[in-house]
Amino acid sequence: MGDCDVAVIGGGLVGGAVAFGLARLGRRVALLDEGDLAYRAARGNFALIWAQSKGLGLPEYGAWTARSAAAWPAFAAALHEVSGIDPGLHQPGGFHLLLGEGEYLRRGELLARLHNQPGMPEGGYRMVGREELAKLLPDIGPDVVGASYGPRDGQCNSLRLFRALHLALGRLGGAYLPAHGVQALRFRGGSFEIEASGRTIGAGQVVLAAGLGNAKLAPLVGLEAPVRPQRGQIVVTRRTARFLDHPTTTIRQTDEGGVMLGDSVEEAGFDNAVTLGPISAIARRAVRIFPRLGALPIARSWAALRVMSPDGFPIYQQSATCPGAFLATCHSGVTLAAAHALHLAPAIAAGRLPPELAVFGAERFHVSAAA
Amino acid sequence: MSETAELAVVGAGPAGLAAAALAAGFGLDVALIDEQPGPGGQIYRGIETSPHAPGTVLGEDYWYGARPVRAFRRSRVRYLPSTAAWSLDRERELGLLHAGQARTLAAKRVILATGAIERPIPIPGWSLPGVMTAGGAQILLKTAGMVPHSGTVLAGSGPLLWLLAWQIGRAGGKLDAILDTTPKSNWRRAWPHLPAFAVSPYALKGLRLRLAVGRRFRVVSGVVALAAEGQERIEAVRWQGADGSEGRLAVDTLLLHQGVVPETNLAMAAGVPHRWEETRLCFEPVLDAYGDTEVPGIAIAGDGGGILGAWAAEETGRLAAVAAIRALRPDAAEALRPVEARARRALAHVERGRAFLDALFRPAERFRIPEGETLACRCEEIAAGRVIEAASMATGPNQLKAYLRCGMGPCQGRMCGLTVTELMAKARGVSPAAVGHYRIRPPVKPLTVAELAGLPPDPVGEGAVNRD
Repeated sequence: MGDCDVAVIGGGLVGGAVAFGLARLGRRVALLDEGDLAYRAARGNFALIWAQSKGLGLPEYGAWTARSAAAWPAFAAALHEVSGIDPGLHQPGGFHLLLGEGEYLRRGELLARLHNQPGMPEGGYRMVGREELAKLLPDIGPDVVGASYGPRDGQCNSLRLFRALHLALGRLGGAYLPAHGVQALRFRGGSFEIEASGRTIGAGQVVLAAGLGNAKLAPLVGLEAPVRPQRGQIVVTRRTARFLDHPTTTIRQTDEGGVMLGDSVEEAGFDNAVTLGPISAIARRAVRIFPRLGALPIARSWAALRVMSPDGFPIYQQSATCPGAFLATCHSGVTLAAAHALHLAPAIAAGRLPPELAVFGAERFHVSAAA
Repeated sequence: MSETAELAVVGAGPAGLAAAALAAGFGLDVALIDEQPGPGGQIYRGIETSPHAPGTVLGEDYWYGARPVRAFRRSRVRYLPSTAAWSLDRERELGLLHAGQARTLAAKRVILATGAIERPIPIPGWSLPGVMTAGGAQILLKTAGMVPHSGTVLAGSGPLLWLLAWQIGRAGGKLDAILDTTPKSNWRRAWPHLPAFAVSPYALKGLRLRLAVGRRFRVVSGVVALAAEGQERIEAVRWQGADGSEGRLAVDTLLLHQGVVPETNLAMAAGVPHRWEETRLCFEPVLDAYGDTEVPGIAIAGDGGGILGAWAAEETGRLAAVAAIRALRPDAAEALRPVEARARRALAHVERGRAFLDALFRPAERFRIPEGETLACRCEEIAAGRVIEAASMATGPNQLKAYLRCGMGPCQGRMCGLTVTELMAKARGVSPAAVGHYRIRPPVKPLTVAELAGLPPDPVGEGAVNRD
């Protein structure tokens, strides 16, 4: 295929969700992806749909997240129908488990501050004491004093989500193009030319969803994406009998039975190697929370790079100088997938981002520099 | 604090033993880590404790192994038996596990001598109970003196196939048949290398072995297809000859073999670059003349660097040790010169004839690349057909994992890695080099969450996780 209506650059969860949303609206979409060893947050995430702790300092982000969590059931159903693959949505509310009174108090204060901001949606969380928690999660260890609970929180099977997005795009007439790292991107005569894998693809619109790759691509079309890598590591056990009915921030049981243990936050540049210090700390915390995890054999560990903006919030922007160029980047590709497919994609198709997304522009990073 | 060593050698087979003993002889503080309770590796497995009398069943090439083992026993090497190396990073820190206790060991130089593993043989029915590898059967023979009796068929190709058959015969065991899958067309490719092979140390031995096995057991040559049949376990093996003939035998054990390939997991986990080797149909690490990899301070010796056999492994072990000693003891350069020269001469001698063996025993596609319903990944039960279907969309094996869970089971792709790469390459009509391989992450050996949790805490790791 030579020309398309929209070229989405970046085949991860952000690009995949936007591409799916655009293709549903009848747009001819090309989804350009890199090769097998690209930095892929989409293959290293924790698969949480998580709202309870999002938005301190930017309540609009809390609202956007809550909106996506609410849209997830419709998104999952649409995706399942088109792709034939069930992304495994399970949204029973989630817990952040707390070890010791200090953690419990600090969590309570943090969430109170967050949810008291004007503009935050109601009913976003509550604190749960040990007694109530033990009824819901009977396997917690003696060090767990309680948890914060988010009613909107959930989980999915992010690998099936990933594949479903790629498959659905094809079924809707779009093209998923692996091994198409972008070599050049030009705005010429009102449309875009992209050079990738030895050919030129013409597009009426372009969406930059290339994660860390956006930093280099954005300036080519009058945008900016000051994102940096932040390493996160996880450990996954082999399958075990079901014992955990709710997702938690650092431990969740997948629908296949394995248990994912997370997570770490490290500024390690573009190094996505697994390191023993963090993964052993993850294992120590996990066995304090659920002692039964200790006996499980580890299937694998993983490290991936989060895509972080300076304030940690997403960047959504349309280009002033190259009309038709959009930027979408965030580190919550799973949580926001529904919003990206059902809200962001229609706005891009209409050619204009809605007012409620104006706060997510990259201009916000200039304000403090000027002040 | 991490335990330290100047040189850490992983694997106590011929390469590891030779490397460790030589380096210790030059005064290096050497730790030799090995999974097994005693030295010898796979080839000389159980040599200090074998139930067989010396010189009998297992053959003189096995008992030769007593020599390097004795030399190692006389050296001042810190020997860590029954210890699994489950992690290695670019800074040369090893993750170890001994008796349920995990710890780390940091070394200035690391020599990986982790040897070979058997190639996966994804024929129909290969996951049925009762189907096992020839190597597995040989371990039982070496360590427990167990031999097959009636109801066993050995099928495949490669030097180990004939050696095992010979050993089984000597031990009084029985094979109902040997199904030789060596493609007849391989002879054309091997022919030009025959003169070099004829004067190699392997030629006469190999010929004798082959004749002895032929006298003892029924050998069916020119087998082009194999399948294991059965419901709960294997009940029969079915095969097809090059001439279209078909055969079937009721069996309760089928031993399969299609040669060995480098065990690359620890090296790949450390980020050592590997490249596809088209003659030997596997990934091999990129090495210099001393076995040094592109990761500073990490070298690979023995079959892990490319299959050359046990004698060559001793010499590549010594060459890797020479480089390590020279790096850590510059004053020893002069004394190392004759050591290196001897090792290179010996290596040249035992390398002769290898090209012939590589060409002759290159396994046929039928036994490497499965089709249709035949499983590619047995842990997750992913059929070849599903891999082919997803191959056009996936960026490579790593994305395929995400798509299908192929390679995400207990073996983590250690078993199906080559199969999946070749399958994707065939489906796309490109070289396996263009497809690439699974990204390997620790742990590369079994480890529980509690064992990982038992590592001593470090501030960086704690800070990255307990953020509150």
